[in-house]
Amino acid sequence: MGTGNADADAVLRILVVEDEALIALELECLLDDLGHVTVGVAGNATEAIAMGRSTAPDVALVDIHLVDGPTGIEVARALSADRRTTVVFMTANAKRIPADFAGAIGVIAKPYSERVVASTLDYVADRRAGRDGPACPDGFWPAPV
Amino acid sequence: MSGPPLATLVDAFASSPSPMVITDARAPDNPIAWANVAFLNATGYAADEIVGRNCRMLQGPGTDRSTVQRIRAAVEAAEPISVELLNYRKDGTAFWNAMTITPVRDAEGLAYFYAAQADMTHVHQMEVSMRGTNDELERLVQARTHDLTTALEQKTALLHEVDHRVKNNLQVISSLMLLKARRTPEGEARDALQSMAERIGALSTAHRMLYSEGDCTHFNLGDFADEFLADMNAGLDPERRRVEADVEPIALTAAMAAPLALLIHELTANALRHAFPGEREGRVSITARRTDAGMRMTIRDDGVGVAAASPNPAGFGRNLVEMVVRQMRGTIAWTDASPGTTVEIQIPIRQPA
Repeated sequence: MGTGNADADAVLRILVVEDEALIALELECLLDDLGHVTVGVAGNATEAIAMGRSTAPDVALVDIHLVDGPTGIEVARALSADRRTTVVFMTANAKRIPADFAGAIGVIAKPYSERVVASTLDYVADRRAGRDGPACPDGFWPAPV
Repeated sequence: MSGPPLATLVDAFASSPSPMVITDARAPDNPIAWANVAFLNATGYAADEIVGRNCRMLQGPGTDRSTVQRIRAAVEAAEPISVELLNYRKDGTAFWNAMTITPVRDAEGLAYFYAAQADMTHVHQMEVSMRGTNDELERLVQARTHDLTTALEQKTALLHEVDHRVKNNLQVISSLMLLKARRTPEGEARDALQSMAERIGALSTAHRMLYSEGDCTHFNLGDFADEFLADMNAGLDPERRRVEADVEPIALTAAMAAPLALLIHELTANALRHAFPGEREGRVSITARRTDAGMRMTIRDDGVGVAAASPNPAGFGRNLVEMVVRQMRGTIAWTDASPGTTVEIQIPIRQPA
């Protein structure tokens, strides 16, 4: 993939909220390749919110449509309430995202490419480390400021 | 003043099929002085039941008070007036009475009022039934509009649902391929799986562009190229290699999205893979222009050229490109541009309706 950063502060602890097992598994492999750590995979809202509480991840990648319906929105709202967690939507359902993005910083539209996931995570890592004005990567749509 | 003899006139009035009545303007309360047979027939009264009485005896509960007021004002002012009034027969049934009341003067001034009348009940009935028909039509139109709105909402919801499922499935297919690629030892099989996943990625980009705007039958090639490039360049080192596009905003039918996505992906990926061996720096450019017959797309690289590039044993990419061009009834020409390779494609476009 190439863009995976090896810097210690660039290693992100990531919660994957995705009900499609294959997508979740592949995403996990990709995150591993990029040098990040997957702290959990959740397929429904209750599970996702509980895992968010117990692991306090750096980043949550949240699909909108989960096993229990379009509950990704409330998951994003709950997880982003913890300032330690940066929420990014990953969805084929971008039309459902509310105007305030439910606390998420942006969206990666499905079907996504691995390159976009990689560059978005680099961007998130830069932002969290407070590095100056990292350029928003192509293929990632930021929430309106 | 000469004219028919008075007796003839009286006769004519008396036997006229139009109801007529004359009131005595000089007697108290303006009573009826004379009525013809048609009037008696229309109202059901005998002559001695009405002569000496005021015409208001014909009014009843449904009579419009403001019209009565207008008649009274005209009579007091001794002016002619035409009105329609709901009157009642002796048996209590109502009828619409259209009347023209004219003051009649003699040498000493106002003497009589002459009123000619016509039964307008059938006209009013028609108006009422027309109004009923209109109301019914209005109701039907509203019901139909409501049905259509509901059907449209359902259609839109279904489109979103299908769109979502297609995107999700493309993601699953892509994940499946990449998972398998990860578990395949490095080599030809793994490369094949990875290039397949990339081709699916190109189709996915095409699909993301469709339905994103209101018009789901067309897409804009310029926007598509931007989106495609964003994805392509995200994986390239911008210092060494770059894909650039100069694509006019050409409106194309949705059916062309997938073949064009495959075409652009294949040619671009091919150039990146073969034109710049080792650390060679380079640039791939995509241009598209409208022509009279359709469009001309040029994909050019400044790499090592067709002849120098290591031949691709399977040649699948090139095959795929030629197949897709044929599907779009276009033509393709590869030329060694030294430096690099130029691929020129002409594709006919039917004007979007």
